Amino acid sequence: MNINFSGVSKIFPPDIAALVDINLNIEQGEFVYVIGQTGSGKSTLLRLITREILPSRGVASVGGYDLKRMRNADVPYYRRDVGLVAQDFKLIPSLTVYENIAFVMEAMSVPKRLVAERTKDVINQVGLWRRRSMRPAQLSGGEQQRVAIARALANSPSLFIADEPTGNLDFHTATEVMKILFAINAAGVTVVMSTHNQGIVNASRQRVVELDGGRLIRDEKGGTYTS
Amino acid sequence: MTTLRYVLRDMWRLIVHQWVLGLLTLITAGVMLWILGVTSLLSLNMENLLAGLESELAVQAYLVKDNTLDVEAIARRIQELEYVYSIKTFSPSDSLAKLQQKMGSQSRALEMLGDNPIPYNFEIHVNSASDVEPLVEVLKAMPEVDDVVYAGLVVKRISALSRITSRAALVMFLLAVIITALVVYNTIHISLYSRREEIGIMYLVGATRAYIATPFVLEGTLLAFLGAVLAAAGIIAAYFPALELIRENLPLLTNIIITDKTVIWRFCALLAGFGATLGWVCSYLVVARFINSMTRPE
Ligand SMILES: Nc1ncnc2c1ncn2[C@@H]1O[C@H](COP(=O)(O)OP(=O)(O)OP(=O)(O)O)[C@@H](O)[C@H]1O
Ligand SMILES: [Mg+2]
Repeated sequence: MNINFSGVSKIFPPDIAALVDINLNIEQGEFVYVIGQTGSGKSTLLRLITREILPSRGVASVGGYDLKRMRNADVPYYRRDVGLVAQDFKLIPSLTVYENIAFVMEAMSVPKRLVAERTKDVINQVGLWRRRSMRPAQLSGGEQQRVAIARALANSPSLFIADEPTGNLDFHTATEVMKILFAINAAGVTVVMSTHNQGIVNASRQRVVELDGGRLIRDEKGGTYTS
Repeated sequence: MTTLRYVLRDMWRLIVHQWVLGLLTLITAGVMLWILGVTSLLSLNMENLLAGLESELAVQAYLVKDNTLDVEAIARRIQELEYVYSIKTFSPSDSLAKLQQKMGSQSRALEMLGDNPIPYNFEIHVNSASDVEPLVEVLKAMPEVDDVVYAGLVVKRISALSRITSRAALVMFLLAVIITALVVYNTIHISLYSRREEIGIMYLVGATRAYIATPFVLEGTLLAFLGAVLAAAGIIAAYFPALELIRENLPLLTNIIITDKTVIWRFCALLAGFGATLGWVCSYLVVARFINSMTRPE
């Protein structure tokens, strides 16, 4: 899925310009870090891609869909191809780790047996099988983050959007998570992740998109992160 | 099939999660639908009763004594009036015979009258009690008609009573429907509200709105349906014993009220269907509204 932003602005009422005139093109299979200070508009950019919010101006299109003109009925099918790790995880408090991941596939009418297999698979990938019967509130921040990652992996999406997926993790766990993201990227999945973590950005030298006050101030292949 | 299983499980979760509220809703819906059912049955029986009485309401019209009258033509003219259900013509001799039969042993007194004093007359049945008055007006205005005899006050009372009962029944009916609808609507709204976060997340990770909505709609439908079943059970438990009581104490009425058990059973099935439909419509409305506003992007 190609991502194409052309002249995209997002203005929250009354007049908060979270993003201003963004032009951005991401090809299928790329790995992109979105960096910038807090409040620079990283989450806003990612939430535009997942269509939680719509652009105030400009055209944002992903995988051939113009997100603003998109029919309501198409949204779920679009989102099944987009794995999302939100900054606040968005786990369902009343469900266990296992159920939180399984329901994504259930909503797609995947038979129970396949759901069980795949759920076990992705929970193992993030190393949380022993925690499968716990509820989000019983988990640490880092564990919740990994559950969110596992859930985003469940549908085998072709685009992976992660808002600070290593934000709550210690160096070791963060490295483990990055290994997972590089692995799915190696399999052809586009990965767009926002981060504050200079160490991670500098360690792997991917494309870097930097925001400042809602403006795109740098878009560099193999870029670094220094503040 | 797979989806149905997931959806039913989710509905079950919703119900278990707030079973106290569910139970209250079910009971309220049950009581309201019971009132609705009883009112409907009462007013049906009332209609039967009034229809029975109405068919007894005959207007007697006596013609003037004039041998040149074309009695059949007059009868036809009356028959064509919109109020008239049927008309029967009695000749003077028929009438006399009828009278003699009625008087039995005293009928000899009639012989003292000499010439038969009774003119041609009609026994007219109307369609409904409210038709009697206007018919009488028309008949009185006809020059061929000498005298009109009818049960005036009874007619007025019956038609007033039938108007009042059918209006009261309608009010009760609407009230029961509205209260049931509100209770179901409210419960499902609470259910939705307590899961609003979950609804947003499910939509965000690719669940369709129909998939998210169905457990809630089913919850409302099921609660109202179970309420209706409860109401139907209550009606059966009340109606048949009441019937026995009437049979013992007011046997006259048994010809008029509904005694056929299959009619009652069918009525109860109808009530259950009505309850389920009402629940479905209400929860569909509230769920559609809620989920639409929840899933609209900023
Ligand atoms: N729903 C909203 N309504 C109003 N303003 C908003 C809304 N969402 C974001 N903003 C504003 O838009 C700006 C960008 O926010 P955003 O969340 O994209 O920043 P960010 O780069 O993700 O920051 P952080 O690193 O802290 O997560 C901020 O000033 C924020 O207050
Ligand atoms: Mg953010």
